[in-house]
Amino acid sequence: MKISFRPLKKTINVDQQQDWNKCLEQVGQHQDKSAFAALFAHFSPLLKAFLMKRGGQNLDNVEEIVQETMIKVWRKAANYSASQGTASTWIYTIARNTRIDAIRSQSRRNPNQLHADDIYNDSYESQETQSPQSSLVRLRDRKQIEEKLGELPTDQADVLTLMYFEGKSGQQVADMLDLPLGTVKSRIRLALAKMKLGLKTLQTETAQLEGVIK
Amino acid sequence: MISRHPDPELLVEYTAGGLTTAPAISVTTHLQFCNECRQLAESLEEIGGELMNESEAIPVSENLLDEVLACIDEAAGKQFATLLAKPQDTEAITGIPKYIQALLPADSLKWRFLSPSLRAAAISVGEEVHELALHRIKAGGKAPEHTHRGIEITVVLKGSFSDEDGIYHPGDFILREAGEIHRPCAARNDECICLSVLEAPISLTGVKRIFNPFLSFSPC
Repeated sequence: MKISFRPLKKTINVDQQQDWNKCLEQVGQHQDKSAFAALFAHFSPLLKAFLMKRGGQNLDNVEEIVQETMIKVWRKAANYSASQGTASTWIYTIARNTRIDAIRSQSRRNPNQLHADDIYNDSYESQETQSPQSSLVRLRDRKQIEEKLGELPTDQADVLTLMYFEGKSGQQVADMLDLPLGTVKSRIRLALAKMKLGLKTLQTETAQLEGVIK
Repeated sequence: MISRHPDPELLVEYTAGGLTTAPAISVTTHLQFCNECRQLAESLEEIGGELMNESEAIPVSENLLDEVLACIDEAAGKQFATLLAKPQDTEAITGIPKYIQALLPADSLKWRFLSPSLRAAAISVGEEVHELALHRIKAGGKAPEHTHRGIEITVVLKGSFSDEDGIYHPGDFILREAGEIHRPCAARNDECICLSVLEAPISLTGVKRIFNPFLSFSPC
């Protein structure tokens, strides 16, 4: 059954996210090209911005990576479901992997052509990947990230930006900013703590969250 | 006490795409076993998504959508070859994650003799800085005492081993910094198979130093 795609409303951030999630599901379940065109119009300029900032990247092929990323979005959309996370994060991981492959294909050594999709394999065997608890944690983390990312002190935000935008390792960031590696690591830790990520109290917090929802 | 999980900073590098192939594979391998780290890695990916959302959009060429749509139409109905799924069915690798099996060479693994109870087989992943390998310690066997000039990551795939700091089970992720000396020893009842990532050659300490190096550094 073909469901026609409805134009997206400009609403507050979270609703907008959900609209994009639905839009991506629409592409996956119904191969809906108008939904895809809407996704493309929204995400390809963001992807371009995201890729342009990466150091050492040949700017000529940024649009090629955008193009390849969006082709993969179309191809893989059937695997997406909103319960796994937001459309933007899902698209981000595709862009990240496409960029890794693009950079690697420029270097001569890649004898068995291992792709980033093979390395970041997300088809885990034998364990519950989508428990209600994990979706709750994810929802909570997502909310924290949205709220707190913009509030991070510049030094912490810079480290995260260099890492996520430029694919730099901690050591490379340390070299770029002329800081000891330990300082870079502690900035990452502080940023994660602000966003309440990576805490060992996950379970108790989840229990509280479940209590609130009930 | 040594952690059995990757540090959050390492998971940030992983989700941001900043790790080279071999360490990235070792992290994915750990995620095959560990729900908690998998959940954190998924949340850390959200940082990437959110940073992208907050980017200032840069318009793309007008014809880009048409080009993409043309590629999609052209590719419709074509099968996309996957490089994965060529597991070997040998005794050595039964019971290790399918994820790792898929990375192994199509022909058989070349096990190298390192000591009476230790063998290693390199896995070629096109990586320049690190060497990725499988290590097998015989039931009850001991690996030579050794130290590292670079980092060493070990993920237990099957069986268990212990060293001065504790006992490690399948899925445990152990990162050793340069200069840490240890002597792994498999449990008595089962052989132990580990995935290991070496940044630089490790050297034997003590008398055995005069023999072959424990593992020479040969990125492939």
